[in-house]
Amino acid sequence: MSKGNRGRDRAAAQRIVEQQKAAERRRQVTIWTSVGVVAVLLIAGLVGWGVLANQDKKTDASKVNTPSVAVDDGTAFAVGTGPVTVDIYEDFMCPICHSFEQQTGPTIAQLVTDKKVTVRYHPVSILDRASNGTEYSTRSAGAAAAAAVDGKFLEYHNVLFENQPEENSDGLTNEKLIELGQGVGLGDTFATAVNEGTYKSWATKTTETFASRGFNGTPTIVVNGKQVEGPNNTLPTTEIFTQAVTAAAG
Amino acid sequence: MDLEQRPSRLAAAWPWISTLARLGLAAVFLIAGGLKVTDLAASARAVNAYDLMSYDTAKVIGAVQPFLEIALGLLLLIGIATRLSAAIAAVLLVIFIAGIVSAWARGLQIDCGCFSKGGELTGGRTAQYGLDILRDVGFLALAGILLWKPKSKFSVDGLLMGDR
Repeated sequence: MSKGNRGRDRAAAQRIVEQQKAAERRRQVTIWTSVGVVAVLLIAGLVGWGVLANQDKKTDASKVNTPSVAVDDGTAFAVGTGPVTVDIYEDFMCPICHSFEQQTGPTIAQLVTDKKVTVRYHPVSILDRASNGTEYSTRSAGAAAAAAVDGKFLEYHNVLFENQPEENSDGLTNEKLIELGQGVGLGDTFATAVNEGTYKSWATKTTETFASRGFNGTPTIVVNGKQVEGPNNTLPTTEIFTQAVTAAAG
Repeated sequence: MDLEQRPSRLAAAWPWISTLARLGLAAVFLIAGGLKVTDLAASARAVNAYDLMSYDTAKVIGAVQPFLEIALGLLLLIGIATRLSAAIAAVLLVIFIAGIVSAWARGLQIDCGCFSKGGELTGGRTAQYGLDILRDVGFLALAGILLWKPKSKFSVDGLLMGDR
């Protein structure tokens, strides 16, 4: 009987030791896997930071070709000489911008002719994801900058909207962008700038400025520093826009 | 290590339920991060659209976040330190939900940028905050399952612990 007892005791002791060993092992595994998880997440965060820093280098002021004719910290192209300043932020891929141009464009042109407004066009590229990786928004904004340098911004701007590609298509090719430029009298320097993407980093920079000013969508229309919208953040009608200009003119 | 004499059918099912929760949550984070990582500038604008921080801060968050999401997705996929990973996922989801609630409360009209580069929401489209929050709460529930029952099948944890 005592013999049997001793055997059972030994077995029990052994079981306890094994359980303790297993518990210790689990503790070690938990600690080290946790350390691993934290390390992996830290590294991932640092990678993100590094990639950002690398991208920021490309839009560093010294690397960006800012068109000499650009106004408003080099982010816009001015049309007209009126007392009221109208800022229009547009993406050439954005269908609502096209609607706005069709709807209110003639009125704006008239206001410019009547010397009532100065329009500052800010080409931005927020819809690069909508051109199957060809970055049409950035390419077209860059092309518009090249057109501005050669004194044909508005003409080219209009022709880009008239020929707007569908969202989520490849967008217009560089050849097509150049061809449209030739249609409004742009020549070889323009073609070179489009092909070499001379102003692409500038387009990225203006888009950053746009975002840093707290704007999210296109078109964003600002009259004398005040954003103009329709009810519920919709596109303003021509009437609302004209009223804003009249009010700003005092 | 189930020491119960007769594990109920539910107890036997938990590791499988947890496995589904783990893989589901992994997919959520991998997809959310993957969609954002290709355009960090857009990701920055999506964060900036919440109007909760300066643009420079939003840029850093916008760049770091997709990489974190992908890393967390991978960690959940292989099932390592599952409880901790799930806790981190839950914290992130709570932050996302708080962000959406705050945008909603302030009447902002933005795309939450959850599964897209978000940000710009223009004419006609309305924000879907209710649905966004509901969806994130669903993901939070998956994280909750893992916090409660972190043991799952096909996991590095299981392998290292010597579980079957």
